[in-house]
Amino acid sequence: MNLDFSQILPSLPFILKGILVTLQFTLLSAILGFTLGTLLSLLKISNLKPLRWFAEFYTSIFRGTPLILQLALMYFATPQLTGYKITPIEAGVITFALNSAAYSSETIRAGIMAVDKGQREASMSLGVPYKLMMLDIILPQAFKNILPALVNESIALLKDSALVSTIGVLDLMRRAQVVAGQTFLYFEPLIVVGVIYYIMVMGLTQAAQVLERRMRRSD
Amino acid sequence: MIRIEHLVKSFGDLEVLKDISTEVPTGQVVAIIGPSGSGKSTLLRCINLLEIPTAGHVFIDGMDITSPKCDILKVRQNIGMVFQHFNLFPHKTVIENLTYAPIKVRGLSKADASKLGLDLLAKVGLSEKANEYPSRLSGGQKQRVAIARALAMEPDIMLFDEPTSALDPEMVKEVLDVMKALANTGITMAIVTHEMGFAREVADRILFLDGGYLVEDAPPEVFFSSPKSDRAQQFLEKVL
Repeated sequence: MNLDFSQILPSLPFILKGILVTLQFTLLSAILGFTLGTLLSLLKISNLKPLRWFAEFYTSIFRGTPLILQLALMYFATPQLTGYKITPIEAGVITFALNSAAYSSETIRAGIMAVDKGQREASMSLGVPYKLMMLDIILPQAFKNILPALVNESIALLKDSALVSTIGVLDLMRRAQVVAGQTFLYFEPLIVVGVIYYIMVMGLTQAAQVLERRMRRSD
Repeated sequence: MIRIEHLVKSFGDLEVLKDISTEVPTGQVVAIIGPSGSGKSTLLRCINLLEIPTAGHVFIDGMDITSPKCDILKVRQNIGMVFQHFNLFPHKTVIENLTYAPIKVRGLSKADASKLGLDLLAKVGLSEKANEYPSRLSGGQKQRVAIARALAMEPDIMLFDEPTSALDPEMVKEVLDVMKALANTGITMAIVTHEMGFAREVADRILFLDGGYLVEDAPPEVFFSSPKSDRAQQFLEKVL
């Protein structure tokens, strides 16, 4: 067995460009996914049964089917169904956001329920309207409690983003495969992007710890 | 003025309040006392609709707040509430706790709200704690901040739900002193309490609840020296 990283050295800049694609993709999916997840979690705690049913049904669909199937459906079926030529990156972000919303909505719902009900009563007694109460009082406390879980969800998103290589997005994973195809070397490019994924996940974990410490200021 | 007419509150099959009617004129201080489970807190919480009455009416300054047409958020702005467990906002500093609702709900400017907040903190003796987070305060200090927070809405009515029950004994007095001072300002107060000495000294009137009924309604000197009902006599024998 001999490894020869020098052969893929010329392709390194090409691979590194994938970092930005993967990061952008993850960030966008996470922001959209958590926003949507928050809205879904609010439906789940609503007094109106149809809203709760909708949110629960939605979650069950996205949890009950493989992500790669959802991705393929979004990318290949959208043009057939609507005539809109969806780009791979659009299909990827939409699918990941919808999927992540389903998972994070459960986490966020649990986080909201875990906030002491006295907080809600104090807000109500001050005449604070529901929307402000959620935005300023309940959700900040809920997010603080579930931050570790949301970081896990973000890490999962970052790693799962490699799935978009299957629909042709030039992310890290796809670039490794392209380089492998050009050089007939598989081990080296895959190891290189593997290390890059690992470093990114470690970076994310570190950043989350800093954020968590800052948020614990009030304890 | 608070007027309560034939108030009934049930939780499922359990009827907690049974046909309560009474009135608290403006500026009066009433203490609501009774054994645990008698419905004291529920009665108090019906006054700002933290509990929705099953039947009957609650009028605040002549307005029926149980009517669907009533804007309850507006009414609540005028009714401060202090809780047993303080319920301060833990992610906000003391001064932010005080200024949040005045800014967001009453629409005060940040400067005006801060000035009002600092004045109130001075009144409860906690000026130096303005920029601390609630977790850094003792129980008594938290409760005084909670009182100041409620007062920052400049309400006409204050409700106190066992404000000293969660406090260490040596911190009870500092909170009661703040409430005493408040009682002399002419604000209407309804206080659910187990502090009999305090009720006797500060209240204009005692409401004694038992088993969901308003059993006795008398001035403190009458209630504590010669309670009419057997139930109140038994209760006082145990607590005094």
